[in-house]
Amino acid sequence: MSTSYAPPVQRLVTELSKLPGIGNRTAQRLAFHILRTSPEDAVALAEAIREVKEKIGLCEVCFNLTDEARCRICQDPRRDQELICVVEEPSDVIPMERTHEYHGVYHVLGGALSPIDGVDPEDLKIAELLTRAASSQISVREVVLATNPTTTGEATALHIAEGLRQRAPQIKLTRLASGLPVGSDLEYADEVTLGKAFAGRRTV
Amino acid sequence: MRVVSVEMRDFRTYARAEARIGAGLTVVHGPNGAGKSNLLEGIYFGCTGRSPRTRSDRELIRFGAPATRVAVRLLDGEEPHELTVGYEAATGGAQAVKRMSADGAEVERLLDVPSRPLISVFMPDRLELLKGPPALRRAHLDQVVAAIWPARAQARREYSRVLAQRNALLARIRAGRASHAAMATWDRELASKALTLREQRAGAVNLLAEPFALKAGQLGCNGEVSIEYRPRSKALDEDQFVAELQERLDGDLERGFSGHGPHRDELAIVRDGRELRVYGSQGEQRLALLALLLAERSVLARERGRTPLMLLDDVMSELDGERRELLVGELSAAGQSVIATTDLGHVPTAGEAHVTRLRISPGTILQEAIAA
Repeated sequence: MSTSYAPPVQRLVTELSKLPGIGNRTAQRLAFHILRTSPEDAVALAEAIREVKEKIGLCEVCFNLTDEARCRICQDPRRDQELICVVEEPSDVIPMERTHEYHGVYHVLGGALSPIDGVDPEDLKIAELLTRAASSQISVREVVLATNPTTTGEATALHIAEGLRQRAPQIKLTRLASGLPVGSDLEYADEVTLGKAFAGRRTV
Repeated sequence: MRVVSVEMRDFRTYARAEARIGAGLTVVHGPNGAGKSNLLEGIYFGCTGRSPRTRSDRELIRFGAPATRVAVRLLDGEEPHELTVGYEAATGGAQAVKRMSADGAEVERLLDVPSRPLISVFMPDRLELLKGPPALRRAHLDQVVAAIWPARAQARREYSRVLAQRNALLARIRAGRASHAAMATWDRELASKALTLREQRAGAVNLLAEPFALKAGQLGCNGEVSIEYRPRSKALDEDQFVAELQERLDGDLERGFSGHGPHRDELAIVRDGRELRVYGSQGEQRLALLALLLAERSVLARERGRTPLMLLDDVMSELDGERRELLVGELSAAGQSVIATTDLGHVPTAGEAHVTRLRISPGTILQEAIAA
């Protein structure tokens, strides 16, 4: 049935269905919604997409999203430049920032090692991190490896740790702890999480 | 946790049937082909969502019916639970549908449901476990690990995930699409998961070894029968495992997959130093399988205080009178078990008050005696 659409409609449906979580059905619904909206609204959407692609780039230091050469966090003089937190995606920075507990800077890798998905070390900002950490301008004190506690995230953390140990052995390396969510009942924790939490228990 | 009853609709030979299962021993008797195995299969299917005999769920639906449904009622102390599995075969354009629920709520896998009872099954088809490829025994051993230590079930999955990544990397390097840069990282990840998995398997076999030898002897296996875990890797630590992987890297690259690691381990059942898989007779293999299941049962009872429900199909004909008595004595001592037999006389205590008896004639189940 979709072959009977006029080519511009079909093109819109095709583009929309490339978005994550959007199937052909939803793409059609969105396309018809756009067709029904006022020209101003539709242009505003197109404009917003163009603007974000034109103006937003990656920070030259940490590869977080920014509309300047350096992101706001890297520019902030109150931030501890000697402390670097390594995350997989720009979206991981936001929850870290929300804690207001972290006063260092970030390094966004742009993903995690996953040969299945064709992601090799060269596809991530790993070399940049090693150069940054080993640079003589700032003496980095600690690198927090905050990649996800998944197979790919763990491997990425291990890979970076190995590289840092060779290039800059004086830097302290840490990994985020994993365990029980705060405010939850033990009763509802799955046995894997609880097992990890047990293994990582501490004296009080 | 115990199974109280099973209700089957359009399951194999049964249009509609219900059976109450006793708290201790239940004996299912009837002539050949009446449907004794089908009842055992129905209990298993209702508790796990899978058949122990076939991979094709379609076969489970009674001939001519569109769908089958099995409901199992359980008691956890005083607390009642219900598990259901419904399966509708594919017809015309519609796909096959399988729906499982626990206490009325739909679930994706019954295996993850906490109220699910542990089940151990002995059927002629299960002999594959002894005779078949090592992968079956590895999978079985990993299930035993998960049953003894539920929190450790993750290790097998984690290992498989890392293995898949390493294999993908090997294929990419071979095709010239990736460098060796990340190989060392994946080797180290694989090593850490492999050692965990190996340790867990060795731990389980260590617990099983003694009871297995004992049961095998009691059941009348000839010679010295033992169970041995034979891991591929001799590495004592991660570094040594990584070295083993690196030694084999050229071969791995040539094949495009990893040839070394716990995914190639063997669980061997051995009589006087020779593998029963190759040198044992069918009868010896059956006894060894029974001994293994009984050993697992006693380990689970000791380690977790839970005895799995034993489903034993056509086991008595293999044993002489003394051994039948021994088996029934052991099963009656703790937990639930269901024995299917053609001859009621083969079960020494079948007439006693603590035994539940079900008589099967084609398509129907007659509740002869119910023991509380």
